[in-house]
Amino acid sequence: MSSPLFTRGGFALPGTTSQFKTGTWRVQQPIHRHRNAPCHNVCPAGEDPQAYIAEFDAGHIRAAWETLVSINPLPAITGRVCPHPCESGCNRGDYDAPVAIHSIERFLGDQAIAEGWPYPVGKPAADAQAVAVVGAGPAGLSCAYHLLRQGHQVTLYTALGEAGGTLRVIPGYRLPDSVIDAEVERLLQTGIDFRPGQRLGRDIHLDELRGEYAAVFLAVGTQDPRDWSVGGVTPRDLHVGLNVLKEWMAVGSVPQAESVAVVGGGNTAVDLSRILKRAGIPDVHIITHNGLPGPDSLPGDVMRAVPREIEQAVEEGVQIHAHRGIRRLLLRGEQVVGVEMVHMKKLPDASGQLKRTAFEGTETLLHVDQVIPAIGQTIDPAGLEAILNGSAYLKVDEWRRVEGHAGLFAGGDGCSRGGGTVTSAVGDGREAAEAIAATLRGEGLPGKTVSEAIAFDALNPHYFEPLPRNEQHILPVEERIAEVETEQTLDPAQAKAEARRCLSCGNCMSCDNCWTLCPDSAVLRLQDKGATEAPYRFDYDYCKGCGLCAYECPCGFITMKEEL
Amino acid sequence: MTDTDDKALLKQLRVEQPRFQGIVSGHRACLGCGEALATRLVVEACGPDIMIANATGCLEIFTTPWPESAWRVPWLHSLFENTGAIAAGMEAALKAQGKSTKVLAFAGDGGTFDIGFQALSGMLERGHDVLYVCFDNEAYMNTGIQRSGSTPHAAMTTTSPPGKVRMGKRHLKKDIISIVAAHHIPYAATASVAYPSDIRQKVRRAMAIEGPTFLVIHSPCPLGWGHDGSLSIEVARLAVTSGLMPLIELERGELTGAMPIRTPHPVSDYLKLQKRFAHLFADDPKAREELVHLQALADYNIEKFALHSLGDDPQDTDGADTVTRGGMRYA
Ligand SMILES: Cc1cc2nc3c(=O)[nH]c(=O)nc-3n(C[C@H](O)[C@H](O)[C@H](O)COP(=O)(O)OP(=O)(O)OC[C@H]3O[C@@H](n4cnc5c(N)ncnc54)[C@H](O)[C@@H]3O)c2cc1C
Ligand code: SF4
Ligand code: SF4
Ligand code: SF4
Repeated sequence: MSSPLFTRGGFALPGTTSQFKTGTWRVQQPIHRHRNAPCHNVCPAGEDPQAYIAEFDAGHIRAAWETLVSINPLPAITGRVCPHPCESGCNRGDYDAPVAIHSIERFLGDQAIAEGWPYPVGKPAADAQAVAVVGAGPAGLSCAYHLLRQGHQVTLYTALGEAGGTLRVIPGYRLPDSVIDAEVERLLQTGIDFRPGQRLGRDIHLDELRGEYAAVFLAVGTQDPRDWSVGGVTPRDLHVGLNVLKEWMAVGSVPQAESVAVVGGGNTAVDLSRILKRAGIPDVHIITHNGLPGPDSLPGDVMRAVPREIEQAVEEGVQIHAHRGIRRLLLRGEQVVGVEMVHMKKLPDASGQLKRTAFEGTETLLHVDQVIPAIGQTIDPAGLEAILNGSAYLKVDEWRRVEGHAGLFAGGDGCSRGGGTVTSAVGDGREAAEAIAATLRGEGLPGKTVSEAIAFDALNPHYFEPLPRNEQHILPVEERIAEVETEQTLDPAQAKAEARRCLSCGNCMSCDNCWTLCPDSAVLRLQDKGATEAPYRFDYDYCKGCGLCAYECPCGFITMKEEL
Repeated sequence: MTDTDDKALLKQLRVEQPRFQGIVSGHRACLGCGEALATRLVVEACGPDIMIANATGCLEIFTTPWPESAWRVPWLHSLFENTGAIAAGMEAALKAQGKSTKVLAFAGDGGTFDIGFQALSGMLERGHDVLYVCFDNEAYMNTGIQRSGSTPHAAMTTTSPPGKVRMGKRHLKKDIISIVAAHHIPYAATASVAYPSDIRQKVRRAMAIEGPTFLVIHSPCPLGWGHDGSLSIEVARLAVTSGLMPLIELERGELTGAMPIRTPHPVSDYLKLQKRFAHLFADDPKAREELVHLQALADYNIEKFALHSLGDDPQDTDGADTVTRGGMRYA
C-alpha cells in the first residue's frame, strides 16, 4: 500500500482513547451486504446491469462489456430488440425516469464491434467432454458460448447456411444484418465448431447425436407459421406473414395491394405492417384480439410486440384495430374485398380464467384487398417426432432438461418455457449450459432461488440529483426507410451520462458517505479504490452500532444485523 | 463480503487513512452523536497546525475521560465561561513567539450563547486571530438536558417541560449569528452536520482569514432531542430544508451567502422525528398553535434570507450533498 495521503499534510499517532474499544457497546452491527438490483432480477437473460454500468461509469468500458457478455453474448442485438423489462423494474423510475439500460447495453455491444474485442473465453481442453447444440438462433448461440466458458467442446449445427436464426427475419431498420454478422461472427470465432446447412431429420439425426455427444441441446425455435382460417375459409392467394417478411428480406418485394389487413399482435405482425408501409402500400391495418400496451391493459390481454415498436408503427401511419376479432371474410369469388370485425375482450370467467368474449352488435366492416395472417409460428417437428409425441413444443423442466430423455436439453422458442423473446432465448441457453456442465461434472444442479431485489425505499435518494434520461435519436417519420436504422446508438458522452444516472441499487458506489459520516471513525477506507468492490472496512473495535452509515448509504449496501 | 476481522490490516488502515486524524476513535460520545462528527469534520479541514481551547461540555467530556485523550493536536480544557479569553491568550502568546499556529476555540451552545458569551464578545472585539466554533445541540446536554439560550421555541428540556401553561420552552432561540456578526468581524457563518462539504468550505474560508472568525454548526443530539442515533443526519438535514436552520455567511455583518432550499419541507417533518417536540402533536389547541408558530418562524427565515431556490441549483440543499461514484463530493 502506498504512503498515506493527507488533506493538508501532517500525521498524528493514535490517541490514548484508542485503547478503549467502544465496539463493546454495540448491539447491532453494520455489514456490507450486496443486494440484487431489480434490473438484474427481471432480466430474462440474467444480466446484472448494475454491475456493468458501474464499471462503465468508473471508466472501464471494456471491463463493462466483458461483465455484460459473461452473461449475454449478444448485447448489440438485444440492446436493439429486447423489450427491456429491466427498465420497467428500474428503481430510478420511482425517482425521475428509468435508466436507459438497453441503450447502454447497445452502446457497449457496438463499442466491442467497433474495437473488435474478443469474447472473454478460453479454448477447451482437447479431452473436454463434447456437447452438441442444434439451432444457431440466440438460444443455441448462447448455450454454445456458455458451454465453452464451462470448458466443454461444442459443435453447433444449424439448418440454414448462416447463424442467427429468427434474428435474420427481424427487419434491418431495427436490427441490421451487419450488426448480427459482426456480433455472431466474433462469437463463432471463440472456438465453437460451427456446422451450417445441417438439418435435423435430414443431414443429422438425434439418435446419432445422442450417441456421439455427452449431451445435446435443442434450440430449433419455431419455424412453421400457424395455420389460419376464418371459419375454415381462406382466401385463394393467401400470403403468410413470416414468409412475406422473409421474401422482402431476400428479394425486396411484397404482394401488390392498395390496402392490407395484417392479423396478429406480435412482433411479426408489427414488423410486417411497417415493412408494407415502407414498401409503399398506402393503407395498412393491424387487427388484433389484444389491447395496446398501457396502464389499463390486462397483463394477459396485451399485444406481444415490443411497445416502442408499436408506438413507432402508429407514428408511421399503421392503423391498429385493438381488441378486434375477425368474424367473416368478405369474398368476391375467392378474392378478398374486406373483413367483418367484432369487438372482443378477455374477461375472467367463473374460475378466474381469462376468456375471450365477442360482443354482439359491434360488428364493423373494413375494406381491404389483402389479409395477411401473422399469428405466430410453431415448432417444425422434423427429426423430433419421437420426442415431441404430437406436442407443439418440447417439454422441459426448470433446468431445461427434456422430460424423460436423459442428456437431452432444450430452450428458446421451441420449448415449453420459451419466453418468445431474444433475451429469454439467451437466458435459456445460459441456464441450460450451466445445468449441462453440472450434470456432466456429476454435480448437483444449480440452485434456482433468487434473492429478493432491493426496493426503492431501501435507498437514500437524497444523495442523487434528477437527471434527464438520454434517449436514442429516433429518425423523423419521413426519413424512415427500410435500410436505415430508425434509432441510433447513443454517442459516448450520452452513454456515459446515462451510466451516471444509475443509482447503484444494492451495491457500493464508493461515494465515501459512510467514511465521511461515521461519528466514530469506524469506517476505514482502502486507498486503492476498486471500481466495484466496496473499498471500505468496518472497524468493529470502535463501531458503536448507531446505524447512521446504513441509513445514509445511498445504495442500500449497508445492513444492520442484530448482535445480541 | 468485504468486512474483515484481519487485525493487522485494520491496524495498518487506522494509521493510513487518507485524511488528517486530529481526533481519533475510542471517545465516549453517544451513538450517532452529531457533535462528535462535526468536530471531526472541522479538525480534518483544519489540518495539524492548530491548537484548541475547549470549553466544558459534552465534547470536552467525551474526548478526555481521564487519563485518556482522543486529541492528537495541542488541546486545552478551559472553563465553561472563559473559552474566548483562553483562546485569546493562546493566540497572543503564540504571536509573541512569532508562531503562526492557528488557535481554535470549541464550545457548545451553553458555553457560547450563555455562559461564555462575554468572553467570546471580548475576544471578537479585541480582534484576536481565532476561529471560534460553536457546536450547537440546543441545550445543556452533559448536565442533563437543561434549556439554553439556543434551545428552540417550544422544545421540551428537563427545565422547560411541557405542561398546562407552556408547550416547552417559552422563549425563542437566541439569534447568535447576528449578535456575533454585529461585532463587525470578517467572517461568521452557520453550518449543519448534514452538509459536510459545506462545513469544510466554511472552515477553510475562516482559516484563511487573519482575525476573529466564527462558525456555528447545528449538531443533533440523539439523547437530548429524542431520536434514534441513525437519524442524526436526517434530522439535521430537515432542520435546514424546513428553513428552521438557515445556512448563511456574514462578512463584516453583511449577508454574503445563503444555501438555497430546493423544496422546503414542512417543519412538522423535522419535529415529528424528535421526542422533544412530541407534545406538539397532541390533540390540543395550544399544541396546534405552536406547530403553526414554528412553521411561521421557518417561513420568516425563508423570506428574510430569500432561501427558496429559483431552480435546480448544484449548491442548494438538494445539490450540495449529491454523490457520484468515487466520492468526488468530498474531495
Ligand atoms: C418478425 C419477428 C420479429 C421479432 N422481433 C423481436 C423483437 O423485437 N424482440 C425480441 O425479443 N424478439 C423478437 N422476435 C422473437 C425472436 O426472434 C425469437 O424469440 C428468438 O429468435 C428465438 O430464439 P431461438 O434461438 O429459440 O430460435 P430461432 O431464433 O428461431 O433459432 C432457431 C434456429 O434453429 C434452426 N433450426 C430449426 N429447425 C432445425 C432443424 N430441424 N435442424 C437444424 N436446425 C434447425 C434454425 O435454422 C435457427 O437457426 C421476433 C420474431 C419475429 C419472427
Ligand atoms: S438504478 Fe441502476 S441498479 Fe438500480 S434498477 Fe436502475 S439500472 Fe438497476
Ligand atoms: S456509522 Fe459508524 S458507528 Fe454507526 S453503525 Fe456505522 S460504522 Fe458503526
Ligand atoms: S455509503 Fe457510499 S461508500 Fe459507503 S457503503 Fe454506501 S455506497 Fe459505499
